[in-house]
Amino acid sequence: MRTRVFVAALAAVALGVVAATASASGDRAAANKLTVWLQVDAQSGWPDVVAAANKQFTTDHPGWTVDVQYQNWGDHLQKFDATLAGGNSPDVIEMGNTEMVKYMAAGAFADISSSKATFANSANWLKGLAASGTYGGHLYGVPYYAGSRVVTYRTDAYAKAGIKKLPSSLAEFTAAAHKLAAKNSSTKGFSPVYVAGTDWYFAMSFVYDFGGQIAKTSGGKWQGSLDSPQSIAGLTAFKNFFLAASKASKTSDEAHPAPYDVYAQGGAASIIGPGWYSCCVGNKFKTTTAQFVMPSHKKGQPMPGFLGGSNLAVPASSANKALAADWLKDFTSTDNERALQAKGNIPNATNLLGTSVNERAAAQSWFVPAAKHWVDVENGNILRNMLAQILTGKLTVKQAAASASDNITSVLNGL
Amino acid sequence: MTVAAETTSKWSRRRRLTWARVGRGSVPYLLIAPVVGVLGALLAYPLYRLVVLSLQQYTLFELIQHKGKWIGLDNFRSILQDQVFWHTVLRTVIFTVANVGLTIVGGMLIALLLVRVSGWVRVLVMAGLVLVWAMPQVVAVQVWYWMTNYQNGVVNWVLAELHLGDLQHDWNATTFSSLSLVTLLIVWGALPFVAITLYAALSQVPGELVEAAEIDGAKPSRVFRDVTLPILTPILLILTSLSILWDFGVFVQPYLLINPSHIHPGNYLMSIYLFQEGFQKADYGKGAAISLLMLVIVAAMSFFYVRKMVKVGEVE
Repeated sequence: MRTRVFVAALAAVALGVVAATASASGDRAAANKLTVWLQVDAQSGWPDVVAAANKQFTTDHPGWTVDVQYQNWGDHLQKFDATLAGGNSPDVIEMGNTEMVKYMAAGAFADISSSKATFANSANWLKGLAASGTYGGHLYGVPYYAGSRVVTYRTDAYAKAGIKKLPSSLAEFTAAAHKLAAKNSSTKGFSPVYVAGTDWYFAMSFVYDFGGQIAKTSGGKWQGSLDSPQSIAGLTAFKNFFLAASKASKTSDEAHPAPYDVYAQGGAASIIGPGWYSCCVGNKFKTTTAQFVMPSHKKGQPMPGFLGGSNLAVPASSANKALAADWLKDFTSTDNERALQAKGNIPNATNLLGTSVNERAAAQSWFVPAAKHWVDVENGNILRNMLAQILTGKLTVKQAAASASDNITSVLNGL
Repeated sequence: MTVAAETTSKWSRRRRLTWARVGRGSVPYLLIAPVVGVLGALLAYPLYRLVVLSLQQYTLFELIQHKGKWIGLDNFRSILQDQVFWHTVLRTVIFTVANVGLTIVGGMLIALLLVRVSGWVRVLVMAGLVLVWAMPQVVAVQVWYWMTNYQNGVVNWVLAELHLGDLQHDWNATTFSSLSLVTLLIVWGALPFVAITLYAALSQVPGELVEAAEIDGAKPSRVFRDVTLPILTPILLILTSLSILWDFGVFVQPYLLINPSHIHPGNYLMSIYLFQEGFQKADYGKGAAISLLMLVIVAAMSFFYVRKMVKVGEVE
């Protein structure tokens, strides 16, 4: 009942935004401090990389300090929006690669094309990450690191079910799922391959595997293309695979619950997600956990996976743009990228790539449409809602795909 | 001369009197001035800015430029032409009626029960009610989420143990089902306030009136309808209109319980529609317009009750 307080707070925030714009001005505290917003992943995973960059930077620029402030994925954009209104935005910000376009299009970031040559390996940057940091031919975001999606599985469960060879095609994987289900039928709700029903990163991989895509652009207009025959074939394959392999909720997402929790509790023989899922599989399965690349419907080939990653950008309102670019140079040095690789990430350039499962999976990848309004498709849950409709049988694949496709067309064109 | 002197003194006396009267008359205004000032600063000015914002195009681009673009009523036009808006309004009105109805009826029943039960039972029930009321909303949502969770939910487990349901029933499968859960959560959280307030009001019902009615042979239902209810009317009106205000704009419970990743135009409530359009899409002008439209709808919904409340006040 006290929700009106919340609504009032929302209104207050909305108003605060406006009020702040009135008083916003260009002058910043002139202290010799570079403010950097990184995601918490760096804080927990590779603080040494951050420290190395800061050390290099302060050596090159005596009298300057670097203030690294760690952010959460859930609310960092809302916080960033508030600083854009208030005029106290950071000098460097880490952005998820799907988040970049909207901000580049709105003019939130500084054009750093002229510094490109100073960044290590910039000629060999991963195509996907370089693309997500480029808009209208200008560079706004430096590739930081990437992560692909792989299958994390229990070697003991696979062996017990008589799976001697890792599946090298979708059909083989489905057959393996049937074997695993039969072997574990006594465990209630057991998933041979746990996949959340609305995990669109995974579902769209099927679409791309079958030659489809989410949307295409022609003549400056976006057109949703989930209703193409190829996309529908992919979505149908996803539906069949899900029904055969996963006992997860058909309407929930890949964070509720976390797939590795289900796995750690013995509820799944395999899970699909970022390579780092192996971190949290629980003590019981620690020694019997391994990973492989999700197979395509074409035998012997990997299924294209979503290439997640981060870019680093310099907000246009920063007073220290040149210095910020210099810090970016230090932070994405070859040594630092190698250190990131050692922690299980994919480095930002092809000449640094190794042969881990994660990196092999990245060889075949897809990325969301580079449209200004893409993030609205994500936040509007258009894809998730379509998947829920397909899996629960509320709509046929064709109906759900057609309606989602229309939606995507209108959202991407800003209607 | 004397006449003239008399007139002057009369005049000045009258003037003095007038001034005294004005001075005395202005005291209430002086006393109320700080309140008016604070309200003006806290309500009128933000409301003015909200109206200004609703007439502007104000997206991320304008946010960065620190300058909105005047577009007149375009925001309102695009909202009113949006099918989603009208579906959301209808859904939210039905949702509000269900929530308010269940809250008031449930609260009334608990209050009537509280009057009848023995002392220690009343203390126990009251304690339970206060505990519910004291629980922070977000915590309450987490508990409900945990209970109705698909993977490890207690409710599913109990139903399966009792052979009444499926171990993996998806409570979010349909909009009706997920909004019903939200309704349960909200009514559960709102009952204490309504029940305790109505219980307090019930203790104001004169015992002799009830007795007299009973002696005249009125059945309990008749006594309730013709004696208790009329006395409770003012408080019921206040509770109903407050509940309408709260439930129409409710955000935390549906947003968190349905889960941000499962919210879509097919299960929007007004406040969520506002949040998605205004904040998620960073279209602040449109968000401001939606909140003004919400204000109009809530005013229309509670108009009847507020008018009645004023009338009741006039009679007394």
